[in-house]
Amino acid sequence: MSKERKNRKMPNPLRKRVFRELVGEWAKYLVIALFLIGTIGAVSGMYVANGSMLKAADESVEQYRLEDGHFELKEKADPELIRAVESGEKADLLSYYKKKAHDKVDEKLEMQVSKALPEAIQSAKDSSVYQEAYNKAREEAYEKADEEVEKKYAEAEEKYDLNDQDFQARPVTVYENFYKETTEVRSAEEKETDEDADSAGKIRVYPVRQEIDLACLMDGELPSSEKEIAIDRMHADNAGLKVGDCITVGGQEYTISGLVANVDYSTLFEKNTDMMFDSIGFDVGLLTQDGFDRLLVPVYYNYSFLYSAAAGDGSMERADGDIQEKNWSDAFLKALITQTLAADNEVKNYLPTYGNQAVQFTKNDIGSDKAMGGVLLYVLVVVLAFVFAITISNTIQKEASVIGTLRASGYTRRELLFHYMAAPVLVTFLSAAVGNLLGYTVFKNVVVSMYYNSYSLPVYVTVFSPEALIKTTVVPIVLMFFVNSLVIAKKLRCTPLQFLRHDLKATRRKKAMRLPHWSFLARFRLRVLFQNLPGYAVLFLGILFVMLLLAMAVGMPDTLAYYKEKAPDMMIAQYQTMLKSWKDDDGKIISTETEDAEKMGMKSLLRRAEAHDEDISVYGIEDGSRYVRLPELSEEEALVSSAYAAKYGVQKGDVITLDAQFEDTSYSFEVAGVQDYDAALAVFLPMSEFRNTFELEPDEFSGFLSNTEITDIPSKYITTVVTRKDITKMVDQLDHSMGSYMLYFQYVCIALSAVLIYLLTKLIIERNENSISMTKILGYRTGEIASIYLLSTTWVVVFSELVSAALGGAMMKGVWAIMMQGMDGWFSFVIRPEGYGKMLLFVFAGYLFVTLLDFRRIRGVPMEEALKNAE
Amino acid sequence: MSENSFLSIRNLTKSFGEGETRQEVLRGLSFDVAKGEFCVLLGPSGSGKSTLLNIIGGIDSADGGEISIGGDLLEKMDEKTLTTYRRKHLGYVFQMYNLIGNLNVKENIEVGAYLSANPLDIDELLNTLGLWDHRYKLPNQLSGGQQQRVSIGRAIVKNPDLLLCDEPTGALDYKTSKEILELIEKVNRQYGNTVVMVTHNEAIRQMADHCVRLRDGMVRHNERNDHKIPAAELEW
Repeated sequence: MSKERKNRKMPNPLRKRVFRELVGEWAKYLVIALFLIGTIGAVSGMYVANGSMLKAADESVEQYRLEDGHFELKEKADPELIRAVESGEKADLLSYYKKKAHDKVDEKLEMQVSKALPEAIQSAKDSSVYQEAYNKAREEAYEKADEEVEKKYAEAEEKYDLNDQDFQARPVTVYENFYKETTEVRSAEEKETDEDADSAGKIRVYPVRQEIDLACLMDGELPSSEKEIAIDRMHADNAGLKVGDCITVGGQEYTISGLVANVDYSTLFEKNTDMMFDSIGFDVGLLTQDGFDRLLVPVYYNYSFLYSAAAGDGSMERADGDIQEKNWSDAFLKALITQTLAADNEVKNYLPTYGNQAVQFTKNDIGSDKAMGGVLLYVLVVVLAFVFAITISNTIQKEASVIGTLRASGYTRRELLFHYMAAPVLVTFLSAAVGNLLGYTVFKNVVVSMYYNSYSLPVYVTVFSPEALIKTTVVPIVLMFFVNSLVIAKKLRCTPLQFLRHDLKATRRKKAMRLPHWSFLARFRLRVLFQNLPGYAVLFLGILFVMLLLAMAVGMPDTLAYYKEKAPDMMIAQYQTMLKSWKDDDGKIISTETEDAEKMGMKSLLRRAEAHDEDISVYGIEDGSRYVRLPELSEEEALVSSAYAAKYGVQKGDVITLDAQFEDTSYSFEVAGVQDYDAALAVFLPMSEFRNTFELEPDEFSGFLSNTEITDIPSKYITTVVTRKDITKMVDQLDHSMGSYMLYFQYVCIALSAVLIYLLTKLIIERNENSISMTKILGYRTGEIASIYLLSTTWVVVFSELVSAALGGAMMKGVWAIMMQGMDGWFSFVIRPEGYGKMLLFVFAGYLFVTLLDFRRIRGVPMEEALKNAE
Repeated sequence: MSENSFLSIRNLTKSFGEGETRQEVLRGLSFDVAKGEFCVLLGPSGSGKSTLLNIIGGIDSADGGEISIGGDLLEKMDEKTLTTYRRKHLGYVFQMYNLIGNLNVKENIEVGAYLSANPLDIDELLNTLGLWDHRYKLPNQLSGGQQQRVSIGRAIVKNPDLLLCDEPTGALDYKTSKEILELIEKVNRQYGNTVVMVTHNEAIRQMADHCVRLRDGMVRHNERNDHKIPAAELEW
């Protein structure tokens, strides 16, 4: 029977084991697979949703003619100024300054002369001697004025780089984009049914825009009569408004005719410096021109612009990349400032689109979500890869004789490596496949609804994302392959003989480690601990990962609750009433009868930094103020708010420099102390010093601080009233956007920790089945055996929990602080002691559940096990 | 090296440990095994039989001396070449069967077949091994003797030039041991493989063509057996 079979190379029969291993250990592989599927699905869904929504957002730039920026002027611009601004050319400021200075000199000279000379001598003015003297004096005064102007111009030139040799005029097309701001209240009828509705929100209304920043109609129609309004879709969702509902805007009733997504408000930021958008309390509405006109509130002279190839020709030219956007914007700003100044107007606000949070926040947030999701996925894959690696190491240990035989028979290390890696890679691959499938179907919709819940985005079409496929399939598989090949290859480095002799330790200990003279059981447990150190190391890593996630899941609601609760205490006064002007129409100083009101000064300055320019409020506080107690401060000394000190690490004695926003002035203050005020980044000065610093008139002020609402100042003089609601709106928004998800996230964390503990303790028990069986034969009871094999795990779990909770909390605070540096404002991440308690409890609850399963497993180990493996 | 020698061992030395604990296991032993021969390495525990077998099998290395198999010198081979050598020319049978628990009988044999470009017909082999009826059983459903049959099947299915057996009956009872020996005898006869078997069972030498008796790492007797008796007739 020496017949040999000439056949093709047969497939490796070991592959059949892989499937049987998967089936045999289905529970283990299923939980790992479920976790991978869940995470990959969520991340894939996020990538697909992000990709699709970003594409929709990108396309909307052209489709809905998104502005390249906007500016607000103090007064309505005349056509000449618009033409000048559209040219993109700078105005000749030097000549303008000189002309202005000369006019002033002439006026002054004329006044002085008229005052100094009696009327009788007036006629002498015509004499040539007088004229000569007058001209000389004028020339001298001109020269002096010119010198001052040149100095002033030199400063401005330096500040705005007006003499920039590389300056290239950036022509634009300017569009009127006027708006009004007022209150929005639901109609009376609905108010009765909703307790929250009585608090008025703010609405910014535009006449329906035809040429720029067009709206994407999501439901209903655009307004067609003066009593109709189209409002933001997301705000409507949040406020429970729908087409056909009535709202009162600035005292006028409007019916909602449609819901829209405005291309320039994909996120509802009221002010660009707001820390967080506010889709609950802030709305953007569109009216017909008549509807707009019937609102009796001041108009903001806002103009939008688009870069164009030639001035005012309406053709669009888009900047290519961030640097070009900034360069173009800088060039245009020079033209805008100089031209406006030369036209005796004033730029109140300038915002290029690349810096407009209302437009950019969505993109950035979606981007950071993706990055965050990706990182979480990869960390989870690495943790699970280590779980696999430890499991396989255990299997290799168990199968040492078989491996030795196979190696002795001629199987290569590579063949065995691939064989043992097949299960984890296959599970990852299948999970990735299923996860991606779910990502494109179920999870995508979840993520999309999350985004629609936070952002006002136009309609989207699902697009295939190669990035999602690579990042959620290829990368996890590569990670799984890499981690496992590293661990398994190391394990397989032993010689066939070592395998046959079950001699797989890299370093052989000559003597057993000596243990202290503890009780026998304690020493036994310690031996179990040392025997399973690699497994416990992975358990520690896993718990650390879970704790980091839990720190976020528990800390976020904690932080929000803390700030909500503390908000009233955080205010320097319950009401900050900001005035348009400190004098009324008749030139009288505005005052109030409100008893606890006191005057204050407020000015917004910029703290410039490479990463992020931040808006800082500088307050002038009256002597003996009941709201802010200032110590004796010398000139240029100031207090900073505790939020400022925390965010920028400022201490007493430091000097801080702040810039005026659209002027060429800088202000430096020496920090004399920290004022306990967590709600905003602010600087406090004595009122007199405030007036000096900002060159204000002796009685000038910006508004009132009070604990009771001021009701006796006509609203037309009030620009804004800052209340507790303004402080908590960010918290409310965060709560609304992510609050409920954090709860689910907590459940996921508990499940994840339980799974990790389950997988690793299962391994420890399996590894010791023989000993467990032996101890049973000897007469140990299941409880005693469990106490030996499970208590060491309890030690590790408790230790890992305590260390990881502290580390996880600290890491989360660090991540938060870094995140806040790139945002406006500050609030620190808070985990309350009960939060830490919750984190510890969650993981421990998971552990207890697993312990029950383990107890059952130990009880199930048969006594024959030890007899069977008598080898 | 004699003219028809297939396996040639010359002055082989091997020791374990260092200094005071150093123990010489093989002390310069030499002998030859002819092609197709059934050779038994006999000796008490600690005589160096298994170490010698492991060195022949390329899973352990000698400190000195040389081994050539079919003209190839083992000590000149690096690890990769050694693996290829084992893959192409060697079959291994151990005292413990070391079968793969979640592969059935047939698949366990396929594990060996995979390594060969020209494996034996597996079905035919299953019949030869008396395992046809058990081919779909898992190892834990088999008796010790049946498991050892499978392990022999795994070793010979790739039709190796050299079959190394390390105490193949060490864990088996008398009756089953005889069955296994009969099987190895049959395989040797049928397929013409050279068989080197380690045992401490004196009786087994009677079924071998050639018996090398070891003690303290040296060859004490190197004798040919011209009066072979079939395995079935062995008594101990």
